[in-house]
Amino acid sequence: MSVRNLKGSGRWWALAGCLLWLAFTFFPLYWVAITSFKSPLGVVGGPTYIPFVDFDPTLTAWSELLSGARGQFYNTFIASTIVGLSASVLATFIGSMAAYALVRFTFEVKLLSGVIFVVVAFGGYLLGRHVLGYGQAMSLIWAFVAALALAIGSSRIKLPGPLLGNDDIVFWFVSQRMFPPIVAAFALFLMYTEMGKMGFKLVDTYTGLTFAYIAFSLPIVIWLMRDFFAALPVEVEEAAMVDNVPSWRIFFGIVLPMSKPGLIATFMITLAFVWNEFLFALFLTSSKWQTLPILVAGQNSQRGDEWWSISAAALVAIIPMVVMAGILSRFMRSGLLLGAIK
Amino acid sequence: MTRNDPVKHFFIWPALLIVLVISIFPLIYSLTTSFMSLRLVPPIPARFVGFGNYTELLQNPRFWNVAWTTTIIAFIAVTLQYVIGFSVALALNRRVPGEGLFRVSFLVPMLVAPVAVALVARQILNPTMGPLNELMTAFGFPNLPFLTQTRWAIGAIISVEVWQWTPFVILMLLAGLQTLPDDVYEAAALENASPWQQFWGITFPMMLPISVAVVFIRLIESYKIIDTVFVMTGGGPGISTETLTLFAYQEGFKKFNLGYTSALSFLFLIVITVIGLVYLAILKPYLEKHK
Repeated sequence: MSVRNLKGSGRWWALAGCLLWLAFTFFPLYWVAITSFKSPLGVVGGPTYIPFVDFDPTLTAWSELLSGARGQFYNTFIASTIVGLSASVLATFIGSMAAYALVRFTFEVKLLSGVIFVVVAFGGYLLGRHVLGYGQAMSLIWAFVAALALAIGSSRIKLPGPLLGNDDIVFWFVSQRMFPPIVAAFALFLMYTEMGKMGFKLVDTYTGLTFAYIAFSLPIVIWLMRDFFAALPVEVEEAAMVDNVPSWRIFFGIVLPMSKPGLIATFMITLAFVWNEFLFALFLTSSKWQTLPILVAGQNSQRGDEWWSISAAALVAIIPMVVMAGILSRFMRSGLLLGAIK
Repeated sequence: MTRNDPVKHFFIWPALLIVLVISIFPLIYSLTTSFMSLRLVPPIPARFVGFGNYTELLQNPRFWNVAWTTTIIAFIAVTLQYVIGFSVALALNRRVPGEGLFRVSFLVPMLVAPVAVALVARQILNPTMGPLNELMTAFGFPNLPFLTQTRWAIGAIISVEVWQWTPFVILMLLAGLQTLPDDVYEAAALENASPWQQFWGITFPMMLPISVAVVFIRLIESYKIIDTVFVMTGGGPGISTETLTLFAYQEGFKKFNLGYTSALSFLFLIVITVIGLVYLAILKPYLEKHK
């Protein structure tokens, strides 16, 4: 008998509490599911709860939705799926590489180089925009390139000032999440518009949206995967190094296969984040690459109280993620997610 | 042990470049425009105004109203999430009957799109067609205007936040509880410590670091709230449930008042940073005491 198990009446109180929470959790989901099968009359006539007893379920809402009478449903679903899957695959892959590097290799960045980067980027942008009279995009690109070149160059020569290590780099990545998304979304929209004027169409395109999602998922991916890689036994890699296996083959041939559970869990968390994301999609898409949350939110203003069709649309956005929750829960015991918060 | 190998640059640069490109532009752009008067509609040439936007914002009662609403929503929601989440995590950790099923199902709300959640909430809270008001009427309460009266609307938004994000707290705290060593509890049981004493004497202090991290993450994320409010009340009635992000959205995307929006975003960033620092400073002595 472990000390951890509940005994006596406490056990039943805990069970009652959990059941109560379960009811609270599932009632809204149950409600949206049955509402999507109600007829218009069944909705307006006041709440009903049990199909076949309280009301006669119909497939009206679903057939309307699937036949495309309610907006470009298929397009949106496909766009959401393509953007979601590709952004999370790429973010997981690129982020894992960076996380692995931050766990196994030594990085040293001089604080002064970072300062140089920020100052040159700001100064160059202001100079190009307001003194030399370049457009926004041009001055930004030049300022960025110059800042990056100067920062890298300055890290080669001896500079005074403190050194930043791996932990500081990780902190920098994670701190990107603190920036209010509305600022990023709006500025990104303007940057994409400027790029569009130069011939690279980014607003309402696959590339633009996916790129933004990759960038905003990377902090989470690096944060999760770093702890996962750190928990892997280093001996295997050391043995491979003795045999002179190059680092990139160690990573792709040994480390990635070993961290499959972590990669899958991270991929799913990223996918859920991208799939449900609202603000960036609102700013960066208009019609062709609109994602499901925008379509669902749009139902609200367009259809007023047509709950049956709103429910069906909402369910399409919900169901794939609920299925994923079932799969994700299998990884919960692995302790992966604990590592993420230490 | 970390090692040194030129290949490390190949590993880290893709991520570094992408994040740099996407994060530096919003920063530069919004910081510079926050000191300018810039409107896109109707187009007015940019004019340098110094701290003009900031002082104008700080004198605008709407800004304080919005900041206050956001703070109320964030703090009450996170408190409830933490209390409920901790209780549920404790029950799951102590192997409540049916724990395996609960574990899976409690995760679900976290993965549902906030927009969809808000739409479902609107249906449930609807005064004539929703089930909640019918239930209330059955118990003899008056039919309540959940989304059209300020207090109830804020309450409704908070409930939706709690519904959606308590699973995150459960997930994190449960993972933390599972690493606590058994022997401390065995010793406490020998001393005849009551469950109440065990919780405040052992569990809570040992969970403090994880709790601090979880609450911190939730608090910062809660301040960014927009989609639920956008769909549920649209900020109404009036502007009484408007949050910081929604206010910025209205100013930026509806009025295209860019200088003002950028200044607002930076004030927002400052508010979040200050709250984060104060929060960590208050808790630091406790964290060190229990190390």
